[in-house]
Amino acid sequence: MASLKLQNIRKQYNKLEVLKGIDIEIEDGGFLVLVGPSGCGKSTLLNCIAGLEDTSSGDIKIGDKSVVDLHPSQRDIAMVFQSYALYPNMNVAQNIAFGMEMRGIAKAEREAAIARVAETLQITELLKRKPSQLSGGQRQRVAMGRALVRDPQVFLFDEPLSNLDAKLRVDMRTEIKKLHQTMGTTIVYVTHDQIEALTLATKIAVLKFGELQQFGTPKEIYDQPKNLFVAEFMGSPSMNLMRARIEEADGALVAKVEADGDEALVLPLVGQEALAAHKGKEVILGLRPEAITDQASASGQDQERVLLKTCKINVVEPAGSDTFVTTSLGGKEVIARLGADAVVSAGESMPLAFNMAKAVFFDPSSEQRIG
Amino acid sequence: MSQSRSTQSSNRRVWLRALLYAVLLVFVVYYLLPLYVMLVNSFKPLDEIRGGNMLALPDLWTLEPWKAAWSSAQIGVQPTGLKPYFFNSIMMVVPAVALSTLLGAVNGYVLTKWQFPGHGLIFAMILLACFIPFQIVLIPMARVLGILGLAGSTPGLVLVHLVYGLGFTTLFFRNYYAAFPTELVRAAQMDGANFFQVFWRILLPSSGPIIVVTVIWQFTNIWNDFLFGASFADFDSIPMTVALNNLVNSSTGVKEYNVHFAGAILAALPTLVVYVVSGRYFVRGLMAGAVKG
Repeated sequence: MASLKLQNIRKQYNKLEVLKGIDIEIEDGGFLVLVGPSGCGKSTLLNCIAGLEDTSSGDIKIGDKSVVDLHPSQRDIAMVFQSYALYPNMNVAQNIAFGMEMRGIAKAEREAAIARVAETLQITELLKRKPSQLSGGQRQRVAMGRALVRDPQVFLFDEPLSNLDAKLRVDMRTEIKKLHQTMGTTIVYVTHDQIEALTLATKIAVLKFGELQQFGTPKEIYDQPKNLFVAEFMGSPSMNLMRARIEEADGALVAKVEADGDEALVLPLVGQEALAAHKGKEVILGLRPEAITDQASASGQDQERVLLKTCKINVVEPAGSDTFVTTSLGGKEVIARLGADAVVSAGESMPLAFNMAKAVFFDPSSEQRIG
Repeated sequence: MSQSRSTQSSNRRVWLRALLYAVLLVFVVYYLLPLYVMLVNSFKPLDEIRGGNMLALPDLWTLEPWKAAWSSAQIGVQPTGLKPYFFNSIMMVVPAVALSTLLGAVNGYVLTKWQFPGHGLIFAMILLACFIPFQIVLIPMARVLGILGLAGSTPGLVLVHLVYGLGFTTLFFRNYYAAFPTELVRAAQMDGANFFQVFWRILLPSSGPIIVVTVIWQFTNIWNDFLFGASFADFDSIPMTVALNNLVNSSTGVKEYNVHFAGAILAALPTLVVYVVSGRYFVRGLMAGAVKG
């Protein structure tokens, strides 16, 4: 096990730059998730760490050792591929042992390692089967077994759950997390699913067009997104973004949001003095759906920073554990998250509690966060 | 009312089906008739052929024509039968098929999984080899064989067929491996397998269907080749097809049709065996890649 350090990684295909100077450092035993939309360069970055693709410039360090000039097999890493990439002509045991066989490890030692890994992953009864005789979840386990048996410095996962059905995906997600907690190995994990990123990671790197948008803990990424892209990409349903104007009322700063055909929403800004510089200007106000709730759910919040306003509800979407309602503010659909037992129907009006302690503000032109 | 109509339409369907089978049967007979004539007459004494009906079964069944064709018929100037030439053909076909298949597989592997700048151009040029008529290469090939000191020898013929077959075998394997998941190759590389280990341990064991297709294709073509055999073989390397021609066209004595028929069947037998043994893989292999999974 070791730390992993990426220093100014660049990658070009002819003229096209797909990685534009990525700097990431993850500590020993950390779980780094690379997340972003398709084509953001996250898989390319993983392949560069694996050595399956060359970097154009930059350095990759595993522990204190630069591996950038080493062949994939000499980097002391193991990778789980999106398609699992199990060798179809070998049975499960042979698949798991192939790497050891290539390294010339004695048969007895190989058998012992297979047995150990098979027990960890509970695939002992599958060892004699061919990959074609396994279900999706079982293939996933075998692919992980093949990586585990190597006992590498760093594990690489390339969208390992994207081929599983929804139920199995959640189960395997928990299992990967459990595995990480018991083994404590450094993991780099690529996904386009922001929920996977938030649940698994100790550190998340959000990528877009080959640029690192933000690097931080899941909580930082979720609560303090650096820019509009991160704010919208992470979280489901995504953050509500409304046009607002910073004004001064009765000696205090407020954010004013136009409500369609209704009296404007005037939100108090307590402890957000940085926004004074934007007085009189238009900004974008971001509020997560859970920061807009019904009165009952808001009772535990810091009352000084909560504002109640009656809004017209357009759509009601019960989701079991919560009820999502849609209203219209600042010319946009705004989603609020109510308690499961909230009683409201579409077309009615109800008071919604806006929790400004969780509000974030962005500059509309630079799209960077300003407060 | 509706019942009578449905009987009517089902009657019509039966008639159409019958007509279809009748037509098919005519074609089957048409195609099998030559084989039947050859088989029947190869078991007759010569007198019976000359005196009687070509389509009749033998009155007197005899294996003599087969024995003669195999071991005592006059081929050119020597009464050796087809036996030595049969083994000449085997000595030529087996290495030529094995080598061209193996090299085609390596070519396909490199062209799909180890792509280098200009791989498309190289593949196009190899592909072009499939379209070069045999006759064009005769003289240059004779010159090359002469320079290499392989003229008139079995290794020389192996080389000719190997070179000529590479275009096809490369095409087969390249297209098969193009659909082979590259992630498997990458996984094996990360497991520490080198270029040839990836090929031997991962790709080749999964290439059964396309190997069968290639072997059948190459075996049939090389075994049946007449032009190269007639052009480049010497007395001790003449293949079966050329020997059969010499047997049938020998100008001395009477034409022994029964021996000729037996000889022709002997010459066709190996390709027939290859088809029967691996024919079902042939179709499967041709379809491979068409449907995923």
